[in-house]
Amino acid sequence: MSKKKTEENGALKSVSYAKWGYIFIIPFFVVYIFFTLVPQFLTIYNSFFESYRIGLEQVGPNYVGLENYRTLFSADSDGIILVLKYTFNTMWLWILGAVPQFVIALLLAIFFTSYRLNIKGQGFFKTVIYMPNLIMAAAFSMLFFTLFSRVGPIQALLEEWGWIDASFDFFSKRVTVRGMIALMNFLMWFGNTTIVLMAGIMGIDQSLFESATIDGANSVQVFFRVTMPLLMPIFVYCLITAMIGGIQMFDVPQVLTNGKGVPNEMTRTLVMYLNGYLTNKNYGMAGAISVFIFVITGILSGFVYKRLSAPYKDKTRLHRRRKGDVI
Amino acid sequence: MKKVFAILLACLMVLSLVACGNGKKAQGKVFNIYAWNEEFKGFFEKYYKVPEGVTVNWIINPSDNGVYQQKLDEALLNQANASADDKIDMFLAEADYIGKYVDSAYTMDITSFGFKNADTMYEYTIKAASDSKGVCKGVSFQCCPAAVIYRKSIAKDVLGTDVPEEVQAKIDTWEKFDDVAAQAKAKGYYMTASFAETFRAFSNNCTSPWVDANGNLQFDPQITAWMDQTEKYIKNGYTLTAGVWDAEKTNEMFKTGKTMCFFGPAWYYNFCMTNAMDPDNGCVGDWCIVKGPQAYFWGGTWLLAATGSDNTDMLKEIFETFTTNEDVVTKLVKDENQYPNNTKIAQKFADDKSYGNTAILDGQNDIAVFAELAKDIKWENHTNYDQLLNEGLQNKLQEFYNGSVDKDTAMKNFYQYVKETYPNIKLPQ
Amino acid sequence: MNKKLSDNTRGLIKLTVLRIIVYAILIFLTALCLFFFYLMVINASRSNAQLATGFTLLPKENFLKNLVNAWNDSSINIPRGMLNSLIIALSSAVLTTYFSALTAYAIHAYDFKGKRAVFTFIIAVMMIPAQVSALGFVQMMNKLHLTNSYIPLIIPSIAAPVVFFYMKQYMESVLPLDVIDAARVDGSGEFRTFNTIVLPMLKPAIAVQMIFSFVSSWNNYFVPALLLDKAEMKTVPIMIAQLRSADYSKFDMGKVYMFILLAILPVMITYIFLSKSIIKGVTAGSVKG
Repeated sequence: MSKKKTEENGALKSVSYAKWGYIFIIPFFVVYIFFTLVPQFLTIYNSFFESYRIGLEQVGPNYVGLENYRTLFSADSDGIILVLKYTFNTMWLWILGAVPQFVIALLLAIFFTSYRLNIKGQGFFKTVIYMPNLIMAAAFSMLFFTLFSRVGPIQALLEEWGWIDASFDFFSKRVTVRGMIALMNFLMWFGNTTIVLMAGIMGIDQSLFESATIDGANSVQVFFRVTMPLLMPIFVYCLITAMIGGIQMFDVPQVLTNGKGVPNEMTRTLVMYLNGYLTNKNYGMAGAISVFIFVITGILSGFVYKRLSAPYKDKTRLHRRRKGDVI
Repeated sequence: MKKVFAILLACLMVLSLVACGNGKKAQGKVFNIYAWNEEFKGFFEKYYKVPEGVTVNWIINPSDNGVYQQKLDEALLNQANASADDKIDMFLAEADYIGKYVDSAYTMDITSFGFKNADTMYEYTIKAASDSKGVCKGVSFQCCPAAVIYRKSIAKDVLGTDVPEEVQAKIDTWEKFDDVAAQAKAKGYYMTASFAETFRAFSNNCTSPWVDANGNLQFDPQITAWMDQTEKYIKNGYTLTAGVWDAEKTNEMFKTGKTMCFFGPAWYYNFCMTNAMDPDNGCVGDWCIVKGPQAYFWGGTWLLAATGSDNTDMLKEIFETFTTNEDVVTKLVKDENQYPNNTKIAQKFADDKSYGNTAILDGQNDIAVFAELAKDIKWENHTNYDQLLNEGLQNKLQEFYNGSVDKDTAMKNFYQYVKETYPNIKLPQ
Repeated sequence: MNKKLSDNTRGLIKLTVLRIIVYAILIFLTALCLFFFYLMVINASRSNAQLATGFTLLPKENFLKNLVNAWNDSSINIPRGMLNSLIIALSSAVLTTYFSALTAYAIHAYDFKGKRAVFTFIIAVMMIPAQVSALGFVQMMNKLHLTNSYIPLIIPSIAAPVVFFYMKQYMESVLPLDVIDAARVDGSGEFRTFNTIVLPMLKPAIAVQMIFSFVSSWNNYFVPALLLDKAEMKTVPIMIAQLRSADYSKFDMGKVYMFILLAILPVMITYIFLSKSIIKGVTAGSVKG
């Protein structure tokens, strides 16, 4: 029996399974190349052409070199470069939601993992705070629009309480529109971040907390000296992926403001700007904006890449896998 | 796995063969209609009997932000390559951009399939659907003279009368209209419920187009007059900052509403005044119409024949049904509150002393009022850009009126919008 | 002794106060999360005229009427939209988990030239959003006559770097290579081994990723809005966004609230039943990152 097995093993040794590795990645790469890579190059290619439509007439495509980029980065009569304005809008909207998102999430993660506090009903709380993450952003912002509109219930309630007067309009002020978007983003994401950070804290070696406590550190000191430094990698990773998500912000402000970015284009995000040109079929300008967004997300992706690929630089693990592959 | 693919492939081939077979026949089995709302679809399904075996597809996209035009353009540009059953047979167009389609090869001469414009049609509806050489490409099922629709109870309170002739005498110029607005305000009412309510009364009396022959954007005196009036109305609290289609405005049509005047044609009843017809909170019968300060028309839906349609018999039938079939046209007026594109039927109603609109009005013969106004409608100074320029101007100025930005910024945003929407239009320096 | 007791008591009081504050914060946040949805349900039970009268915390009697109206509305065909979204979301969820697992398995179980490069590439492009290639994508789909088709909304899910990465991580923790060897010894082909032995071992990961990809596909708005315009093809998010811009159906606000409710209901119901494993999935996805 055992002899037979060794014989078989011997026979297997000469078989290389490498070709199966290639075969199994074919679907991924065929689809990726066809539906992402080629479109990506096409997008970049388009950015060098003047190509737009006036009704039923197509203008171009004519090669114009960097003209679209020049248009994109040229300042208007007031010295404002629109694409930068929309970039700042996007970042502002993200920051307004992300600051409370991370502060609250960190607090909650500590509450939930604290043995001393021993919070009851964690399952319930986690279930509820994670829920908004699954809501369709388009539906959520449509809901906010109806609730906060001039004829909506929130306006009526606040008027009744005398907090605002009848002429108040949530959609006419920069701070309220941005506030609504930030609130939605906060609600949609703080639960997710809480759970991720919780997992991070629970991954920290418990004995470190114990020894810190024995050494007489109070909870604030434990947090700043032990928890935070050890949580940092996951925290930063979370932050950067959230930032990449923030740059893509579209559904919420688009539906909330009906694509108008009120007031005064202060809530128009980069992708809304892109979407405007895409639906207008101005492919030259849309291409230039796409490349701009691509570059920003590309830089941020660099950080993510560094973090995710780090464990795989570990020689022993790679060795182990190599060993496992060909017997 | 392979077998499944083979079967699928075979099925597909059979299907496409069947489809091709259909396309070759004189008339297609699928009739595709592009539209931006449900209004005409409702009439179509009620009054037109689709021939046996024909499927009607409605492709409906909202006209807001130009989405309808973009989707329609895309489909028309693909029309030549589309299979017979995917080709557009008919599409709807509005006064604001009909020229773009009429003056193109994507619409076809209606005489090519044997339809003749009747002499009962309003002249302007034919002119609007005809290209620069006078070739007509479609018909309209409605005529859209527009009027002032006022709340009788409020008029009584403000003016001391709710009789149409007397009310008309007090608002027959814009100056008088402004005076009444001040009186209404003093009594705690609004004159209009949207900053853009009077827009059409001005813009459809423009004496110059939005864009001149050299591609320059220009502001007609009527447009600037509207801007001046609106600025004043907002400042004095005569009107609200809501847009024409906003719920805040339509809520003013409930019994509890505080607004005296609305501006619209016959289609406005069904389309915008459903709140006034609410069984619990409406105020049916508290309304009358008068000409108001300035005669105008608003909108109108044209049915255009798409080049490449393989259902020309049906096109002809549909056109006839909604313009010359007296039975249907009569029902459009009586049951649907429409003003028809048929002078004979309209006149019949106008002359009928026993006819009155009770669906929304107090039994007043509104057709008689509209018939008078319809005589003066002229089709001129339209451009293909009108929809998005009208909409854009209103949207950007709304931000000025609601206090978000100053006027200069609003105008700058409007110019930026024009630049993004139509890169070919030259902006004023 | 006395001093110690008072120390203990003081500590206990401090802890109790802290607990009260913490619970207050938690209750506030949960209430905030639920408040807007509560308002939505309440408003979905009110008629248009009732809605015009402002705010109320109690439901009215028109829930069923609004439901019937919304369900039967001819311009926003929500049952059709839900069916369309379901078709797309289910197919994407199946494809994305299956092929991501397959790709991850290729990297996990085999050694081949360029494997490192393949892995590096997938991680490098993982965070690049779909929006930046949307232009070329739409242009290509137009050329291929694939607009108003579900193919461009389903097939690309085969190549999902994020799901791939999750599967790869999961395999590292649960899939010893000896299992594969054993299968080989038993004469199982490589593809069969993957389908019959590896996939069942990945069940928890597959379940979690299927839920996530189902939800993200169900909620996806940007690309479908650029590709679909036929009424019978539209998905739920397009219909919802259309509500915001439509000038025709938004006047009955009761119906509008009902539409929103219907749009998020399927995901909500799924969540109520599966919340435990979903939250576990989020946790698992993060620690290993």
